Amino acid sequence: MSAQGIGIRPVVVPAVALVVLLGVWQAAHRIFHFNSIVLPAPTEIVAAFVKNAGSILTETGLTMFESVMGFIIGCGAAYLLAIAFVHSRTVQQAVYPYAVALKSTPLIAIAPLLVLWFGNGIASKIVMSALVAFFPVLVNSVSGLTAVDAEALDLMKSYSATRRQVLLKIRIPNSLSYLFPALKIASSLAVVGAVIGEFTGSTRGIGHLINTSSYYLDTALVFSAIGSISLGGILFFGFVAWFEKRIVFWQKA
Amino acid sequence: MTAHEQIVEAVNLSKTYPDGKVQALKDISFSVAKGEFISIIGPSGCGKSTLIKILGDITEPSMGTVRVNGLNARQARLKGMFSFVFQNPVLLPWRRVIENVSLPLEILHNGTRDPNSLLRVFGLEGFENAYPAQLSGGMKQRVALARALTFNPKILLMDEPFGAVDELNRAALDLDLARIWQEIGVTVFFVTHSISEAVFLADRVFVLSARPARLKTVLNISFPRPRNKELQETEPFQEVVRCLRKELE
Repeated sequence: MSAQGIGIRPVVVPAVALVVLLGVWQAAHRIFHFNSIVLPAPTEIVAAFVKNAGSILTETGLTMFESVMGFIIGCGAAYLLAIAFVHSRTVQQAVYPYAVALKSTPLIAIAPLLVLWFGNGIASKIVMSALVAFFPVLVNSVSGLTAVDAEALDLMKSYSATRRQVLLKIRIPNSLSYLFPALKIASSLAVVGAVIGEFTGSTRGIGHLINTSSYYLDTALVFSAIGSISLGGILFFGFVAWFEKRIVFWQKA
Repeated sequence: MTAHEQIVEAVNLSKTYPDGKVQALKDISFSVAKGEFISIIGPSGCGKSTLIKILGDITEPSMGTVRVNGLNARQARLKGMFSFVFQNPVLLPWRRVIENVSLPLEILHNGTRDPNSLLRVFGLEGFENAYPAQLSGGMKQRVALARALTFNPKILLMDEPFGAVDELNRAALDLDLARIWQEIGVTVFFVTHSISEAVFLADRVFVLSARPARLKTVLNISFPRPRNKELQETEPFQEVVRCLRKELE
């Protein structure tokens, strides 16, 4: 096979697998007469999407807006706190253990509180997104800002560099290769956070649409809404990954 | 400026690490003239790197003082008089070659050498815009050398700079270093594991003892300059190397 054949294989093989899966699903649905309330056929899901495209895309857009806002606020705050940690051991010793502990607690559980505090508009969803995005970025940023080659620091000391110069010229660039893997995780978590916030209490957003359609047993609409927000999440992740390749270009794949 | 003007004066340098009772250096004293090339050899782990770092005020001695041109080590460092080259080139991977070489100039503003002409001196013409990942080990170390000289330091502190470079490149780097040292008259402290490299480059070889390191022997090397690699094959050179090897044992 030619190099071209190798080049398209990674795209063709999973695409074929998907078509086969959908075909089996569709055939099984017809042969075994599945109840569409439990599991609709792929064609029914597509039909539900086409029929409700306007509202599905609008609500997905809203949820993605909440996710992106939460992501920016959560990641930004985490990175700034990481820089504060590097500059003050006291701050780090006081706060970091709790940050690490909170990283592994199910923050999703506080969603009802956030709705109570911030209302059932977009604010509570943005806060939820920001919170779940915050911790992985904090932990990785602290690693990236501190895991600096000791000889690079010696070198900077021999130039009598200030802490600010060390931060700008060594620590921050060094942190980027640690930061981006966390940003990729945070991009997915931010969407999860926004949807959970909407499940808990909202009048808008894809989470609200999924909730209400399930009350009406419109399972095909539930599926198309899930498909839509999944695609949104994948695009968000892909965008961050694309950005990583451009910014952390020196990192070997 | 006579040939014998002293530039570095070390008095009773001792270093004990605070965490334990490990004594790295003990009562090391010497004085070095401006423009001298000093090689430092000693058993591995004896504290050669510690000595270099104390001279350049990266590490503080537990006792003793370093004076450089009448200044203490800290004042000298703040004036940008020291420059380090480590075994690892320590290039910043996100910076191009020329940007790596210019790094000290962004911090110390007493640069007097043009980074581009330094790259030419080290045979790195055409690689100005390459990233470190695109260079071989020998080339990376040349970039590190060029970077060490951009800001016109008075004292070059080299810690096994060519230790990780292959034999052929190492010989070429030794020759380049000797040539540039003669051209610019910088004072060099050169830590190495290779006795013949130490002898080949040095005006004087300092031999340190095992830990705690004391200055055991100072040997004058009087082979005429410029030296070439054939010198290493000659009997007098081999004799000096044998003599130093005995000192180390």
